[in-house]
Amino acid sequence: MSDVVIEVEELSKIYRLGSIGTGSLRQDLQRWWTTSVLKKNDLFFSGKDTNAAAQRQFLWALQNISFQVKQGEALGIIGSNGSGKSTLLKIISRIVRPTNGLVRGKGKVSSLLEVGTGFHQELSGRENIYISGYILGMSKNEIQKKFDEIVAFSGVEKFIDTPVKRYSSGMYVRLAFAVAAHLEPDILIVDEVLAVGDADFQKKCLGKMREVSRADGRTILFVSHSMQAVKNLCDKALWLNQGKMMASGPVSHVVNSYLSGVQQLKLKQQWATPDEAPGNDLVRLKSVELIPQTANPDEPLDIRAALTVRFQFWNMSDDVLLSAGLHLFTYGGDCIFDVPAPATTCDKGIVEGECTIPGNFLNDGSYYISLIILRDTSVVLYHYEECLSFELEDYRENIQWYGKWSGAVRPKLPFALKQSKMALQE
Amino acid sequence: MAAGKKVWDWEISAKTSYWDWSLPELWSYRYLLSSLVRRDFLLKYQQTILGPLWILLLPILTLITYVLVFGKLVGISTGETPKVLFYFSGIVLWNLFSDSFTGTSNTFRENARLFSKVYFPRIVMPAAVTSSHFLQFLIQFALLLLLIGYYGIFQGYRPSFSLWVVGFPIAIVLVGVIGFSLGLLFSVLTAKYRDMVSLINLGIRLFMFLTPVIYPLASVPDNLHWIVTLNPLTPLFELFRLGLLGEGVVTPANLIYSLLFAIIVALAALLTFNKQGDKLIDVV
Repeated sequence: MSDVVIEVEELSKIYRLGSIGTGSLRQDLQRWWTTSVLKKNDLFFSGKDTNAAAQRQFLWALQNISFQVKQGEALGIIGSNGSGKSTLLKIISRIVRPTNGLVRGKGKVSSLLEVGTGFHQELSGRENIYISGYILGMSKNEIQKKFDEIVAFSGVEKFIDTPVKRYSSGMYVRLAFAVAAHLEPDILIVDEVLAVGDADFQKKCLGKMREVSRADGRTILFVSHSMQAVKNLCDKALWLNQGKMMASGPVSHVVNSYLSGVQQLKLKQQWATPDEAPGNDLVRLKSVELIPQTANPDEPLDIRAALTVRFQFWNMSDDVLLSAGLHLFTYGGDCIFDVPAPATTCDKGIVEGECTIPGNFLNDGSYYISLIILRDTSVVLYHYEECLSFELEDYRENIQWYGKWSGAVRPKLPFALKQSKMALQE
Repeated sequence: MAAGKKVWDWEISAKTSYWDWSLPELWSYRYLLSSLVRRDFLLKYQQTILGPLWILLLPILTLITYVLVFGKLVGISTGETPKVLFYFSGIVLWNLFSDSFTGTSNTFRENARLFSKVYFPRIVMPAAVTSSHFLQFLIQFALLLLLIGYYGIFQGYRPSFSLWVVGFPIAIVLVGVIGFSLGLLFSVLTAKYRDMVSLINLGIRLFMFLTPVIYPLASVPDNLHWIVTLNPLTPLFELFRLGLLGEGVVTPANLIYSLLFAIIVALAALLTFNKQGDKLIDVV
């Protein structure tokens, strides 16, 4: 089990920015002239130029990434948009070449970077299963053996001979994933795009992938923005930021440091003068801040922490009846609550407000807060969406269960079992 | 596995090589090839009324045009051979060349999305396109044989067969190889420089007039003879007609020239495609 199946050494990838289509013949000739005729080092390939202008034309999608993956491991790759996750997957999948460095591996690799690779709208479900299977590297035998299973998993039996262009998008996605789910590579590379479809189907997909990695001992590389999914599926994780490796190791450790790195961005926002602040002629936001009521502010927030939302805004008119509303949303966009602040008559100047969300009330997950400022209890003066966002970590004590806790909130309500005094037989 | 030394199945680095075809790998993708050909046929004729009949209808319509325009109006002599047979043999073979050439030259442009999402040996795509055009050719070729039979039985046409009859399969294969290989070379160019697409479309039309499709080599004026003979397709078209219809001008030197051209362009195409193929995904 401890065999290394993927080894990545000093991997780098540079992209040339700017217009690739036009003028590239000229650039190519220029490059050929400098490298071949003048025998100068090509900036593009040496990557160590001192010329700042030239440097700006290049983008380091990946910079000196090294890691190893052992057989049977599930490695999650996390990072914000543009951090190089997909580039890394594409290099390991042999789709693009690195600029520098080396990837070596053992066994057959299949990559699922999109839903329905090789699907064609005009072809029937049956045709598409075959062609997509072949493109993803399955053999004819494999597909024939699993055909019924694939169809059953997707649940489109009735429409298997209908062109997929007549499918609903849900059916399409289900069929496409079903093909992918029945691949049997040694190494499976999955991009987050697979997490589409309804929640139920997502669960099914993740379940299938977990089954693949745990039961069959396959190696999985998994890119996702959903920390929950990464934590559920992976044992190890890799955090990329702007092409550099920030951390790697056990999944909970990496996810925590990633979250505390990202979180600060949206825990506090403030503006020095009304001119640069968001808002309008009537009100402008001065600051909005989430203050966790915890002993150690450096630790990631968990569900025990009470959270205080404090905000200030400039009120530009005298003698108005102002009120405010605080909306809390899950990351998926479901509103959990809408707390109104009672209306108060205010004059020109700074108005502030504060609201505390109790600890042990929200479930673990990502949330964001929107702020609404109203006049005369009903006229919206300003609606600032997603002014704060935060993530709460799980915390469990004395509970022997580790699955995802369902529900948007997890309030601690008085709830207990006790032995009844009644006898079994009356 | 030797102690201390790891054995890897695969390795990815910045270097792309000219020659690293893995035959077992290619072989394992043979079903992909056949299903792509199948897909091609299904797609082309789905939701058409005449369906696969179009494979025959198009060259027949072209034939009628050529007979009217070049045969009747311009009055190009086709020698002993009936005009219909002469033009149809030219059309069929030319279609094989131009279809496989234009088909493969769009490999990267048309499959950019797919290529950027999944790995498989890229050569499978152009190979599938060429195979499907080759199948199409075989169907059209069968019609040509029927036409020859018809003229032989009902029109009293007696082609003068000779040993050259063994030559026409060679001509077919070489025309296919040249079309495919030139297409591959140009696919690398069209991926990088889109201007090539328009050039190719124009170029292929002009190129047809340099090839004895609508005229026999024998009727080319002496001062233009060298241009037409410089075209490596010329001996192949002549060989094709000589084998089937017993009329054509072929010398062994010409044939060797075409053969060498086919081999060199095929090698160059495979090497370039292999070397550049992986890099192009970043550019397309």
